[in-house]
Amino acid sequence: MTPTLLLVEDDARLRNDLDQHFQKRGFSVTACPCGTQGLAAIRAGHFDLVLLDIMLPGMDGLSLLEALRDIEDTPVMLMSALGAEQDRIIGFTRGADDYLPKPFSLAELDARANALLRRMARTHTPKSVREDGRVQFDDELQDVIHAGQRAGLTGSEYRLLITLREHAGEALSKPLLYQNVLHRIYTRLDRGLDVHVCNLRRKLTAIGVQHLQIQAVRGQGYILIESDQS
Amino acid sequence: MRRHPLLWKLALLQISFCLLLTWIIWTWGLSAERSTYFLDQADQLYLARYAQQAEDVWHNEGSVGVERFRQQLSRDENTWVAVIGPHLESLGTTPLTALEASHLTFMRMLHWPMSRRLQDELPFVSIEFPDAPQQGRLVMQLPERLLPGGLTPWTHVLSHGVVPTLLAALLGLLIYRNLVVPLNRLRDRADSLRADDLDSEGPGVPLMGRRDELGELAGAFEHMANRLRQSLNQQRLLLRTLSHELRTPLARLRIAHDSQLPPEQLRERLDREIGDMQRLLEDTLDLAWLDTERPQLPTEPVLMLSIWEALCEDACFESGWPAQRLIGLVDIDCLLQVHLDSVAQALENLLRNAIRFSPPQGKITLTGWREDEHWHLCLQDEGPGVAERDLERIFVPYQRLDNSTEGFGLGLAIARRAVELQGGRLWASNGSPGLIMHMTLPAAAAG
Repeated sequence: MTPTLLLVEDDARLRNDLDQHFQKRGFSVTACPCGTQGLAAIRAGHFDLVLLDIMLPGMDGLSLLEALRDIEDTPVMLMSALGAEQDRIIGFTRGADDYLPKPFSLAELDARANALLRRMARTHTPKSVREDGRVQFDDELQDVIHAGQRAGLTGSEYRLLITLREHAGEALSKPLLYQNVLHRIYTRLDRGLDVHVCNLRRKLTAIGVQHLQIQAVRGQGYILIESDQS
Repeated sequence: MRRHPLLWKLALLQISFCLLLTWIIWTWGLSAERSTYFLDQADQLYLARYAQQAEDVWHNEGSVGVERFRQQLSRDENTWVAVIGPHLESLGTTPLTALEASHLTFMRMLHWPMSRRLQDELPFVSIEFPDAPQQGRLVMQLPERLLPGGLTPWTHVLSHGVVPTLLAALLGLLIYRNLVVPLNRLRDRADSLRADDLDSEGPGVPLMGRRDELGELAGAFEHMANRLRQSLNQQRLLLRTLSHELRTPLARLRIAHDSQLPPEQLRERLDREIGDMQRLLEDTLDLAWLDTERPQLPTEPVLMLSIWEALCEDACFESGWPAQRLIGLVDIDCLLQVHLDSVAQALENLLRNAIRFSPPQGKITLTGWREDEHWHLCLQDEGPGVAERDLERIFVPYQRLDNSTEGFGLGLAIARRAVELQGGRLWASNGSPGLIMHMTLPAAAAG
């Protein structure tokens, strides 16, 4: 099935380039130069992903986002040249699923778009079974137990471990992990996830868990390697 | 509580003025007025001469002579006259009537003040015989023409109008000197600021020595002028740096575009130049944001060790260093109450610098200890260090030292702003060898 994409961007050159890029990747793209047309397009049909510029002539991206949220739950990625003042941006981006500051690379855009599409796909798949011969996962207490010892994880750390383990051996991008684990949008200077990973590693080591190794993958995110050693 | 030194100063001035005015009117005004009620010297002599004549007549001609003298004088001066003995009896031939005797109950001496105050009657003057005062005296009602005029209207105007006016003017002058002259100096300073004369240390400065509200105002004003000066300097520097740092990569791009580079190489060049420009822009915006917005960042308890490990992971990726060359000697008891992203950004900038200036196989060490409510962290490299005089200059935005070829001189400025926003401090010192970056950050409450 061809994924559908709505692109709302007022800069004609950028709009054409993005349009062509996503068409090459096999998307069916609807490109609009302004918010009003974007809203009309949303009312006319369903989209799998919306790419939305914040500063638009006429109806701006945030008003469009608000209108869109009244209609359906399509994942929305905001794009903006407003600047790197991340904390203010986060205030603006309530209701958005990701935020991409301009300038961005196509690789970054693709990674984030994939993360969003995959997240939407996964909300429908059942959770995998959390069993491990050596480590007990306690969903109730949000903690893991190894050799009778509790790691004392926080909610975020537990979610991080579960998410990584569900995709063991597969690198998960930072935007995706921020979405699923910390329930917020990833911005350039955010170090929250990195610190959680370091805390998690230390707590696992402290209770003697050695077969679960969380590694950083340059430019991609984190991966959990499950080895056989005990 | 706020002190109000100027209020007290003004109150004191006003109170002294009021007291002074009251005192002057009471003492000087009254005495001036009273002094005008005395007979002048010539009139006193003139009247004394009558007493001499009366005495002569009494001695030479007795009662009859006195009676004649009395009537003569009474006619001449057109007033009541009596010549009386030591027992207040008339020395003339006519005894005193009861009414006349009553005139003797309140007689004034010549040198007493004369006024018409009592019952609108001219005063009765008693003049003793000059040669034998015990034998008698001349008593006469003061002739109208000799009565002292009292205060003239002009003297009244002087004592009750002109003098208080002068005093009030003096008070006004004092208040003016105290309030308006300093304000004028401040205005001159503001005018010189308006004329873009930001660099001169203006006349506002001595005013700061005052320990009252005006001194505070001058202080606030100087602070504002300093901020203005700083931001203007920074703006000039920013403009110069941006035009240089953006033009250079643009020039390189333009040349790369014009030369016949193979596509692969061209793409690589493009990527590098864009990366540089993007970094400059992001750093500039970060600094401007920290500097102008002074955001209130939410803090949380953060383990320093975790930040360090996360940063080392990235740093090793970037620089190709093995993890063993980055030594973190802080323990898990180093728990800070900070805004994670800012502190991570600050430490990352310090770490990047340390890596850039490290010799081959050099090591970088992070140590830390608790100092009261703060953690004192030190990041030491084994590089060449920085000349003592430049230890502060490296934190100034867009300032690059001579031996620095990369970067825009923003990393340390951003780091310092970020640390200061948390209530911490960041400074540099030279170790042996290398540079030590000191950072104090608030510790999280235990527990």
